[in-house]
Amino acid sequence: MNVLKLILQHRRLSAGLAIAVVTAALLQVTNTNPAVSQTLALTAYEAPSDPGVDPEAGIWKDISGVNVPLSAQAGSYVAGGSVKMVKAQALHFDGKLFVRVSWADATDDSSTTKVQDFADAVALEFPQSATAAVPSICMGQADSAVNIWQWRADSNNGVRDPNVAYTNALVDMYPSTEALFYTARAANNPFAQLDRGAVQSLYSKAFGELHTLDFQEVQGLGTRTGDGWAVVFERKFDTGRAGHALFAPSTNMDMAFAVWDGSQDERNGKKAVSQFVNLSIAAAPAVTGGGDQTRTIIFAAGLGIGLVLIGGGLAIYGYRENGD
Amino acid sequence: MPDVYNWQLGRNMDYRFETGKQQRQFAAVFNINRCIACQTCTMACKSTWTFSPGQELMWWNNVETKPYGGYPQHWDTKILDLQEQANPGKQTWDPNKKDAKSAPYGTFEGKTIFETADGVNQMATGYIPSEEEWKAPNIFEDAATKYSKEGVSLPEHSGWFFYLQRICNHCTYPACVAACPRNAAYKREEDGIVLIDQNRCRGYRKCVEACPYKKSMYRPSTRTSEKCIGCYPRVEGSDPLTHGLPMETRCMTACIGKIRLQGLVKVGADGQWLEDRQNPLYYLVHVAKIALPLYPQFGTQPNVYYIPPRWVPRNYLEQMFGPGVQSAIDAYTNPSRETLAVLQLFRATQEIVFSYKVEPGPKTMELTVAGQKRELFNDTVVGYDSNGKEIVRVSVDEPLIERPDRFTLNTI
Ligand code: SF4
Ligand code: SF4
Ligand code: SF4
Repeated sequence: MNVLKLILQHRRLSAGLAIAVVTAALLQVTNTNPAVSQTLALTAYEAPSDPGVDPEAGIWKDISGVNVPLSAQAGSYVAGGSVKMVKAQALHFDGKLFVRVSWADATDDSSTTKVQDFADAVALEFPQSATAAVPSICMGQADSAVNIWQWRADSNNGVRDPNVAYTNALVDMYPSTEALFYTARAANNPFAQLDRGAVQSLYSKAFGELHTLDFQEVQGLGTRTGDGWAVVFERKFDTGRAGHALFAPSTNMDMAFAVWDGSQDERNGKKAVSQFVNLSIAAAPAVTGGGDQTRTIIFAAGLGIGLVLIGGGLAIYGYRENGD
Repeated sequence: MPDVYNWQLGRNMDYRFETGKQQRQFAAVFNINRCIACQTCTMACKSTWTFSPGQELMWWNNVETKPYGGYPQHWDTKILDLQEQANPGKQTWDPNKKDAKSAPYGTFEGKTIFETADGVNQMATGYIPSEEEWKAPNIFEDAATKYSKEGVSLPEHSGWFFYLQRICNHCTYPACVAACPRNAAYKREEDGIVLIDQNRCRGYRKCVEACPYKKSMYRPSTRTSEKCIGCYPRVEGSDPLTHGLPMETRCMTACIGKIRLQGLVKVGADGQWLEDRQNPLYYLVHVAKIALPLYPQFGTQPNVYYIPPRWVPRNYLEQMFGPGVQSAIDAYTNPSRETLAVLQLFRATQEIVFSYKVEPGPKTMELTVAGQKRELFNDTVVGYDSNGKEIVRVSVDEPLIERPDRFTLNTI
């Protein structure tokens, strides 16, 4: 069934649309950006064939998505929040979830070779387990952790030693290049290892308490689009391991987005975040040809319902320690 | 935010963490007057810790020519400028608000790097120097402010430069530690050495941004930040040479000019040095008061102290070392018998000297310097290790040794 028709059959949502228009006008006048995406809905339909991790794959052109507004991490955070919106699409196939995220970013920041260079990045955040309590959107909480999948533009390129990437750029010869002398690697820092793929799966239950999961099975790939990035994440619904988000057809799940613009020195807590988006994994196959209208209506409906929850959202949104 | 005491500023200040956990503090005194800029210290550090891929631009120890040189370029003037912009015209000292013990140099009335920061986006005011700024570690080597045709004379040379030897200051209130959102940078309880946990670091470079001395550095091959580790295995005594006793670091022991003395001092619950009259570092910093902190106004309470160069304009030195400059130079130029004896301990042994004793010797010379009568005594200074065992004995007069005649043909 066409999503557009489905929505239009529900009159309450039409009323929601009206409220949303008024709200939008109000927000325009008061110049408020409440990051109302907490009520947006993203549906992962079943794909007819394996979409793969290529963000350019044709299937993504045929399915609808949602535009998720982003804003700086915390109310008093003066910096961060360079990217204002991401478009999210989702599919599933053969027990695997695929999420495609695209956003506008004029600069390609995919090298971290220079001290002043930070990488573009995007992350998806899910509750680590299907707990009753929805974890704090800001990096989780003690009794309710989050599972974060972070794609980074530098990892996407394959992290290489600068002396391999730029042979003899700085010195002609090294006395020894054994693993021991790459201190962070030798100290088993997962972040410092080579060839760990473009995406890291992490968990967090507080600011400053981000850890890499021992088992990595999120695949991902990013490509430059005309005006920014498109990234696809792929993971099995069920990894069979504790700490990894669990998905299943005909269920709903909260998810959130974060985007970093490297050219704006964004890293760690300096980033743009969304509120929770409701991801539903549909049993039905993907619909095609939804187009912009569908997206706009889903967005507007979300905005309307979001009004009720803005208070709660902004409360979470208040000052938190600058962390990640 | 906890309120902590900074004796170098003579006042309390805000810092992200409480102090008081350290038992001992890594500290050193560098005598700028004696440095010949041979860079042996620099190479000692490099060849021990930073010779691998990704560490090419990393010099945990560097020696730069002031006033123009700097590694990274202009690091100090840039921070001074950021601080001045944040608190225009008010970055000043009141040298009269003094207390012999808790505020020996007066009170800093301006703001520290912690106090000018917003506390949200930055814990300390700072910036990330670009790669280009790290690429010429010895830029402007030996460049003087001008050519003095008539020559130069004390107390202030008309054309001048001096060498500034720099390592991480293992600060009592480290900005790198305050800035790290993951608490990967930390200060060790046993000796106050500041380290970056290479397992936790995720390369945010907040420490690189916050350290006012720019002694936290980025390593692209591991995407993490690294810094001077205070040669902690040596300080812990795990080098077989000293049989389990604390040993001075590589950059200290290699020093050709004998300008460096490093050790461990006792600290109290408030992070301040406990009275330890016979510790040579305590004596030089707190009793003789000839060694001063580098840019104390930044507020990190650095633990490397400098005997300022005698020939440099005092306003420049005061900006760099605070209001104690003139009295430190006076005390160094006219040293007491004890000061002269303690200065002999510089580079007399690799083991850390925890205490000393001066054995008086005979008067060997009377002379006049700058119109003042002076007497020299051949006193002997004896240094002891952490167990109170004698490890070194040096006299003020260098003993004269006559070589037997079979060496007359300069066989070396
Ligand atoms: S000098 Fe810099 S890196 Fe060293 S402890 Fe102080 S703030 Fe940290
Ligand atoms: S203390 Fe050790 S690690 Fe630090 S600069 Fe000196 S030699 Fe290098
Ligand atoms: S080894 Fe000593 S004399 Fe030589 S540059 Fe270093 S501090 Fe100066």
